[in-house]
Amino acid sequence: MKIIKQFGIIFAICWLGAVVEHLLPFAFPASVIAMLLLLICLLTGLLKVEHIREKSDFLLGNMAFFFIPAGVNVINYLDILKTSWLPLLVICTITTVITFAVTAFSIRLTMRLLKRK
Amino acid sequence: MKNMRELWASPFFGIAVSIVAFWLGTKLQARLKSVLCNPLLIAILLIVGLLSLLNIPYESYNAGGAIINMFLAPATACLAVSIYSKIEILKENWLPIVVGCTVGSVTSMGSVYLLCRLFRLDEAMTASLIPKSITTPIAVEVSGSHGGIVPVTVIAVIFTGILGSILAPFLIRLFRVKDPVAAGLSIGACSHAIGTSRALQIGETEGAMSGLAIGVCGIITVIASMIFMK
Repeated sequence: MKIIKQFGIIFAICWLGAVVEHLLPFAFPASVIAMLLLLICLLTGLLKVEHIREKSDFLLGNMAFFFIPAGVNVINYLDILKTSWLPLLVICTITTVITFAVTAFSIRLTMRLLKRK
Repeated sequence: MKNMRELWASPFFGIAVSIVAFWLGTKLQARLKSVLCNPLLIAILLIVGLLSLLNIPYESYNAGGAIINMFLAPATACLAVSIYSKIEILKENWLPIVVGCTVGSVTSMGSVYLLCRLFRLDEAMTASLIPKSITTPIAVEVSGSHGGIVPVTVIAVIFTGILGSILAPFLIRLFRVKDPVAAGLSIGACSHAIGTSRALQIGETEGAMSGLAIGVCGIITVIASMIFMK
C-alpha cells in the first residue's frame, strides 16, 4: 500500500502540473511545473521526503531506463543522422568546452566580487 | 499460427525487450568500466538493431515503449527531491549558483545556435540541439515544444553527457578551476547527470554542486527558450 500511496502522490502532482500548464497563458512544460510544485510542497512542509522516498528513489535511480523508447525513436530519423552526424558531433564537442569555460569564469568572477564586499 | 506482427505489438514485448537491453547495458558497463559504455546508449543501439534485423515496426515496439515513456514526467518531477536534499548548499551559495547556471545555460544555447547557423543546419535540427546540455527529461520538453526532433535531442544529450564526463578533469586543469564549487557547477551546467556521476568521483562538493546545476540549469533553459525561441 505504501508504494501505491507514493505513486498516487507523484502522479497527482504530475496531473496538477498538467492542469497548471493548461491554465498558464504561455507554454511551460507540465513536468517542470510538477517539479516546481513538488519542490514547493517539500519546502513548505506540506509533504515530507519520507512520503515519497521509495518512489522517487526508484524514478531517479532508474532515470536513464525511461528514455529508451524516446531514444529508440531515432530509428525513424536515421536518414537525418546519416547526413548530419558530423556537424552534430562537432557542435556538441565545441559547445561543451565553451559552456564549461564560460560557466567557470562567471562563477570565479561572482565569488571575487562577493569577497571584495 | 497467430500473425507474428500482432505479437510484436503486444505492450509486453516492448517493455520486456527494453528491460533486457538496459540490463545488458548496465552489465556491459560494469564489466568494461568505461564511461563510453553508457547503458542507455547501449540499450538504444541494441533495440534499434533488433527492430531493423527482424523488421519489427517502431509502432509495435512503442506499444510498450509508450508505457515506459509515461514515467518520464514523474521522474522529472522527482528532480525536486534531489534539489531539496541539497537545499542547504543552495542557500549558502545561491548567488554563484544562479549566476553560473544562468550564464552557462545561455552560453550553451547561444553557442549551439551560432554553430548550427555556421553549419547551415535546418530549424528542426537547431531546435533539437539547443537544449542538449540539460537533463534529458527537460531537454526533451524544450526540444519538442519548439519544433525539434526529440530522438535526435536524446542522442545529443547523451553524447554531450559522455563527453563532459570524459573531459571534466582535463577541463578543470586547462581552465585552472581551483574552487570545487565552480568546478562542480561547470560540470553540471555543460553535461547534466552523466557529468555529475564523474563530478561525484572528483569530490563530494563537486558532485553536490553538479547535481544542483542539473535542476537549476533545466529551469533556466526552459525560461530562456521561451524568451529566445519563439
